[in-house]
Amino acid sequence: MLIKAIILGGFFGFALYQVGAHLPSKIEGMLRLEDFSLMKSILFAIGLSSVLLALAQMLGIFNLAHLSVKNMHLGVIVGGLIFALGFALGGTCPGTCMAALGSRQSWQKGLFALLGGLCGAVLFNLSYGAIAKTGIFTALDWGKLTLFKLSEDYPSVLGLGFSGLLITGLLMMGIAFILPDYRLPKALRESQKN
Amino acid sequence: MKEKTWLFPAILLGLSFFFAVLWVKPIGVSTQFSVAAGMAQRVFKPTLVYEDAESKSGYASTNAYLNKSGGKLAKAVAHPLNYGMVFVLAIPLGVFLGSSLDSKRRERKQELAKFKQAAKEDKLARKSDAEIINQLNEPINHSAYGLSFLAGLLLIFGARLAGGCTSGHMMSGIMQSSISGYIFALVVFGLAIPLAFLRARKNYKQ
Repeated sequence: MLIKAIILGGFFGFALYQVGAHLPSKIEGMLRLEDFSLMKSILFAIGLSSVLLALAQMLGIFNLAHLSVKNMHLGVIVGGLIFALGFALGGTCPGTCMAALGSRQSWQKGLFALLGGLCGAVLFNLSYGAIAKTGIFTALDWGKLTLFKLSEDYPSVLGLGFSGLLITGLLMMGIAFILPDYRLPKALRESQKN
Repeated sequence: MKEKTWLFPAILLGLSFFFAVLWVKPIGVSTQFSVAAGMAQRVFKPTLVYEDAESKSGYASTNAYLNKSGGKLAKAVAHPLNYGMVFVLAIPLGVFLGSSLDSKRRERKQELAKFKQAAKEDKLARKSDAEIINQLNEPINHSAYGLSFLAGLLLIFGARLAGGCTSGHMMSGIMQSSISGYIFALVVFGLAIPLAFLRARKNYKQ
């Protein structure tokens, strides 16, 4: 089991490096809509994995028990807003800050983000009780809702099954191709380095 | 040349998500931060997690969050060498491997060394130095560390409140057509993009 973790985690990190997600400047460039390459990569990747998942299911090689869908509730929205603050401020996310740790260029930023993240986690662990009392997890409680009917375990919006993933996956890959591979000219980017 | 340089890395990224769910389960990162936090808390409070035959995972915690879902996180805190934690720890290893194999990066480093040497001999500042340094290095000034720390705090707090981060909620989620995944992605990018613009505007004014 641990060998799988090393291989899969290592592969994920390797891929993150290739798309440049370990660089806060790359993520910030994406968020400022100055550099579309990372956004194209992410969209394409989600699309590709959706298509492969659909194909695997159709070929009968996918174990449905491996699916794991997260609950929808108000915390997803409020948490998302707080997450966005950190995302825009640091140009990193939990996965990419772990990636940054392994890089020569941005390990310092990764390390500080990691430490901050641990503090955030402790803070959350300690305040969870109080947060839950506000009812935030029971508001907008739609459960583990999915768009397509993938499994008996998850309620779905549509009756369409895995072929829906095929459709959305191809759509995302298509959009990734159509998005302009636009990068702001270097001279202009220089003036924004902070 | 520029055309399609994003494609092959994107394929790798997509494959990494697919293989993870095919072989084990969807990728997730922020949960391990909660586990690590529990481990840190446990240093100050050894009774934080304990075995409990009546709980689903066999473990329980005095902390409400770690005790959630039958003590799932409590068990991870007690036995951190599990799939989830090792996966996340392997991420920087993969990055290191990637950067070690990156021939273009090595070329740039060699070029930089050459320019530095030439500049030393000439004692003339070369405009290209700055360009190459910028290509190799992440722009860092020390106040950026404080920002990174704050960013990390907000990211994880927000992620745990939402139940996942961009890896777990967005990428893994949307791959499974999870409604919470779609909503999380919309909310995150809906706010982060305008915020990034605001930050850039602030820098222009300087």
